[in-house]
Amino acid sequence: MTLDPVARAAIVAALGPDDVVDDPVQTRAYECDGLTGYRVRPEIVLIPRDAEGVARAVKACHRNGVPFVARGAGTGLSGGALPVADGVVISLARLKRVLEVDPVNRRAVVEPGVTNLEITAAVAAHGLYYAPDPSSQQVCTIGGNVAENSGGAHCLKYGFTTNHVYSMEVVLPDGELVTLGGDSAEQQGPDLRGVFLGSEGTLGITTKITVRLLRTPETVRTLLADFPSVAEAGEVVSDIVAAGIVPAAVEMMDTLAIEAAEEAVHAGYTVGVPAALVVELDGPIEQCDTEFAQVKAICDAHGCTRLHIAGSPEERAAIWRGRKAAFAAVGRISPDYFVQDGVVPRTRLAEVLGRIADMGDEAGLRVANVFHAGDGNLHPLVLYSAAAGETERAEELSGAIAELCVELGGSLSGEHGIGTDKACSMPKMYGEEDLAVMKRVRDAFDPEGICNPGKVLPTPRLCGERPGKYRPHPLEESGVIERL
Amino acid sequence: MTLTALKPASLKEAREAVLDTTGRISIAGAGTAADWGGRLGPVDAVLDTTGLSGVITHNPGDMTVSVHAGTPLRALQEQLAEHGQHLSFDAARVAAGATVGGLVATADAGPSALVHGTLRDLVIGTTTLLSDGAVVRSGGHVIKNVAGFDLSKLLHGSYGTLGVLVEVVLRLHPVPKAIGTVVVECGLADAARLAGEVLASQLEPTAVEWLSSGRLLVRLDSTEEALPARLDRLTRLLGDGASVASGSSEASGQSGAGADVWAEHAALTRGDGGAAVVRIGVKPSLLPGVLEALPASTVSAGLGTGVATVSVPGRAVAEAHAAVHAAGGTSVLRCRPADLGAPAWGPPPSALAVLKAVKQRFDPDGRFGPGRFDPWEIS
Amino acid sequence: MTTPAGSADTNLPQTGPSAFDAHHPPSRELLDDCVHCGFCLPTCPTYQLWGEEMDSPRGRIYLMDLAQKGEIGLDGPLHQHIDACLGCMACVTACPSGVQYDKLLESVRPQLERNVKRTPADRMFREAIFALFPYKRRLRLAALPGALYQKLAAVPAVRRLAAKLPGRLAALESLLPPVTVREAFATLPVHTSAVGERRGRVALLSGCVQDVFFHRVNEATVRVLSAEGLDVLVPRDQQCCGALELHAGREDPALARAKRTIERFERLDVDHVVTNVAGCGSSMKDYAHLLADDPEWAVRAKEFSARVRDVHEVLAELGPRAPRSPVPARVAYHDACHLGHAQGVRAQPREVLRSIPELEVLDIPEAALCCGSAGIYNMIMPEAADELGRRKADNVRTVEPTVVVTANPGCLLQIGKHLKDGIGGALPLLHPVQLLDASIRNVPVPRS
Repeated sequence: MTLDPVARAAIVAALGPDDVVDDPVQTRAYECDGLTGYRVRPEIVLIPRDAEGVARAVKACHRNGVPFVARGAGTGLSGGALPVADGVVISLARLKRVLEVDPVNRRAVVEPGVTNLEITAAVAAHGLYYAPDPSSQQVCTIGGNVAENSGGAHCLKYGFTTNHVYSMEVVLPDGELVTLGGDSAEQQGPDLRGVFLGSEGTLGITTKITVRLLRTPETVRTLLADFPSVAEAGEVVSDIVAAGIVPAAVEMMDTLAIEAAEEAVHAGYTVGVPAALVVELDGPIEQCDTEFAQVKAICDAHGCTRLHIAGSPEERAAIWRGRKAAFAAVGRISPDYFVQDGVVPRTRLAEVLGRIADMGDEAGLRVANVFHAGDGNLHPLVLYSAAAGETERAEELSGAIAELCVELGGSLSGEHGIGTDKACSMPKMYGEEDLAVMKRVRDAFDPEGICNPGKVLPTPRLCGERPGKYRPHPLEESGVIERL
Repeated sequence: MTLTALKPASLKEAREAVLDTTGRISIAGAGTAADWGGRLGPVDAVLDTTGLSGVITHNPGDMTVSVHAGTPLRALQEQLAEHGQHLSFDAARVAAGATVGGLVATADAGPSALVHGTLRDLVIGTTTLLSDGAVVRSGGHVIKNVAGFDLSKLLHGSYGTLGVLVEVVLRLHPVPKAIGTVVVECGLADAARLAGEVLASQLEPTAVEWLSSGRLLVRLDSTEEALPARLDRLTRLLGDGASVASGSSEASGQSGAGADVWAEHAALTRGDGGAAVVRIGVKPSLLPGVLEALPASTVSAGLGTGVATVSVPGRAVAEAHAAVHAAGGTSVLRCRPADLGAPAWGPPPSALAVLKAVKQRFDPDGRFGPGRFDPWEIS
Repeated sequence: MTTPAGSADTNLPQTGPSAFDAHHPPSRELLDDCVHCGFCLPTCPTYQLWGEEMDSPRGRIYLMDLAQKGEIGLDGPLHQHIDACLGCMACVTACPSGVQYDKLLESVRPQLERNVKRTPADRMFREAIFALFPYKRRLRLAALPGALYQKLAAVPAVRRLAAKLPGRLAALESLLPPVTVREAFATLPVHTSAVGERRGRVALLSGCVQDVFFHRVNEATVRVLSAEGLDVLVPRDQQCCGALELHAGREDPALARAKRTIERFERLDVDHVVTNVAGCGSSMKDYAHLLADDPEWAVRAKEFSARVRDVHEVLAELGPRAPRSPVPARVAYHDACHLGHAQGVRAQPREVLRSIPELEVLDIPEAALCCGSAGIYNMIMPEAADELGRRKADNVRTVEPTVVVTANPGCLLQIGKHLKDGIGGALPLLHPVQLLDASIRNVPVPRS
């Protein structure tokens, strides 16, 4: 199967020669995103400069029935930007203008290639910031954040991308430019903006995004606390929640993750302690002070071995730098690793961590844990050595951990998305009918199935004839939900 | 032709009811928003969801709850309050017994949407019954979840045209330990100016609303210890006319000091009996201008959200749609005089074709909620 | 979990013999360190300019990896995209996984120089550059007022270029500022004694471009070091350290210069070999690595590199002693890539500047982004360099400085060129030690 020459010529002609890459070697640089386990070389990479260029590119693909995949910074960890063989990649890397900053209405209009952190940089002078803060925020783009509905450390209090986008200009899979959402918090009719957000690039390509900005909090208090065990740290989280406190962020790292992060950024973490919590509160001073005192007391009550309170913005930044670099930093303590992303109800954190440790022992592999403890979003990092032939075992363990999350009433993914990586696991979480109806949504936007095909929903081609026998969801078994 | 009344008590019964009935169906909850949106076309049956009621599961430690969609939110809140939790949602019609499903389907919201968003931001999972009997679950029981398409968003604001919400999973928040409201007696222009100052400050108000009775309300959710100091700073910022509201007679879903002013807010949002009630949303900075131009008899206006509810004479509805859309906003007709022929919606959104395609795939025979999106001709 | 496509093996398969030759190919371990996370993208100047994966650090590593795995040749895209790299090493700073892109580039560039044939025009231009820059004598000729080609006609490589491609020679000339005859031919004293109690003894590398075009910086450096209590030696017969050639992948001449420099300095009884040029410091600190497998030189290179310091490192470590007079100025400090990224020297220059009373140090937005100078880059890739230069100048202007300082002659020339156009054109552009020198001597801040 190769790309029809007529189609190729039409697609290449959609943009100027400087905006097209079709050399068979150069296009290989696009064959994977942040998940390198899957590689497919695209036939053509189009790099338009504006929304109209994106629309022309999509129209050309649509007219010729050629599948296309949108790509932002290519930092995704689920293979959401994996190209399609003989297909087209549309890179949004050149749509990187901040079009408008509106401090009065606390919003900004940006192009999709603007990075998450650049938004905050562009509005900071007005005392505003963009709240969702995925760990890769200095590089990941807002267009990718929209596609993945990205979260971040602070989404416990502030929510996800979907809670911070008023509207998007979108190129639909047939090349039409439309706007989803509107100018106020309320929209009219079914929330198409909401279903598009997090659809992993399968419903169209965003070309302009109006994001909601928040006023920077009056004060931010950040503490780093060491604990004698992961379980104690977990109880601190429960007690904070039970006290009616909604922290801006509660992050937990285990001993391996601490070691890696500290080696990478020297942020002042204690190497060797079993668990560390980063707790951050923000808001009006009076409020923050009273709640911060409560949090400190809770930490002490659970045998906190060291409590470090960030004394300056630099110290706070260092703590976060350590936390945010933790994934990639694991590369320093292991030749290879898989990053997993699953969610469990917060109350089952201790249980899931115990089970993960047992599973790691059984597989003879180390598992480092970095996670958003406030919302139960785990990021177990399975460490292995490909050279030692551990790849398959590691992959199995990583997959089993994600499925364990579902078993405990959680989700296959909290923020990295389903993409290519987990499409075939979707039947573990959803029934056939659920997936069939999701497919109806996809068909409504993209009847030809050319917009990032093969992602999110399992297909027979990728996952075998049937997506596996349906197994009742654990919630169903326990009578929490019912199925007919 | 007689109207068939369907009142299932379980998902199974609901599915059977939909499959066993031929023709068009209107989905109803407590009936608190029966005439919102487009005028319902002729239907063969009414599916009453109030039999699908009650909490399914509530684990306080997880701060989530799953409920049957026909559960009145007021009842749910009472139950959650025992655990110091609540759904951070304060639409006016909650007090009238509105159901969770109905509130989602009509995309209703209250003043605290400024901070907590609308129900689209608080619903984390749904189970929905489609007109062909398909039952679809989306989302789940955890706050953070990006697995699969978020179908609950499509149901939000669908006015009963896409499917029957059967179960809803909600994210909860702790009930604020102390609430305080500062009131300033002032006109809209002054209120807009003051609201701008409050929103530019770091006082973090939960709600900033202006009432056509000539009051600006600013609410703070707080801890006990911090509230006095925060109220003090807010009062000073708002200037001479500002005072902390204290009235707290038994009122609509509101409690604590200052409940009375919020009861007034709810009353104004429900609207003026004989008039047409239009819900509008524009950029906050444009809201005062849009409101000034409307012949409104009552107004409640979220100066931070850009969302307002106005009562206008029936003849002014089309004009209101036009004015709001000229300002780039959105509008929908809520309650109206029985004989009013005015359109419920303004010009359709640019993605109308997608809306039609979604409707076509979810409800190909157009069974659910005919006419709700007229004049857009979605089904 | 089921695997829908391909294998989850994160490494590319070996499909054939490596395209690299056996002499220092990029090491497998270094290539495998890259996990493709993309954290390098925002700091990479060429990715910022063009938004193409192949012109990003991880894209370049990907291509190196493909070549090593036998999937692609050295000629073509790999060559093109490695050539387009400025070698600014901002990616090294940004990388959370500790990928040593500097080492990778250092091994790949010589591979390409050896194994890929350049176009005749490109070859000719590069030869002209390397026939000129490492030689103080020739640079002095070029620097004197008047037409460049006539002065340089004596150098055969330049004569050939002038005959065939006068346009590119003009581009080269536009970067070279005129200097006075006095300055061009001035020499530094071989020995300058410490003022007051002696705190140490150092040797100064005077540099090539630095000594011809920025002789005043060298003079200021000698004065400042001695004022702070150091004996300063400046060996008269020192030559180019090889930085330009090293960073361009011209391994053999670079190594020859490295050995000569080691030889010249190792016999001096000094605590440190000091340089005020970021590029020279970075290459001299790298000699240990470059010569690590040369039995005759490995130990000597290691000992030499261990003694190399940037002038700011020395000053910051000593701490201020000479009294400073106030210099009321808003000073924008530009981190030269070879100082900040390659040597990790960021805090010390700021610390040194802050030792001057009434002087405010300003950080420039997008500080990590290269100004486009990058050794010979602004001569061989003038368009990209111009774009980066304009961007840097714009960023400098946003902080409204009264003085701009940076510790590399290439950056001074490049930023100077782009600051000239537009508002703020009259800004003094200096090396930080010039400010310190003015403060210690209590004289007005020089204009250049």
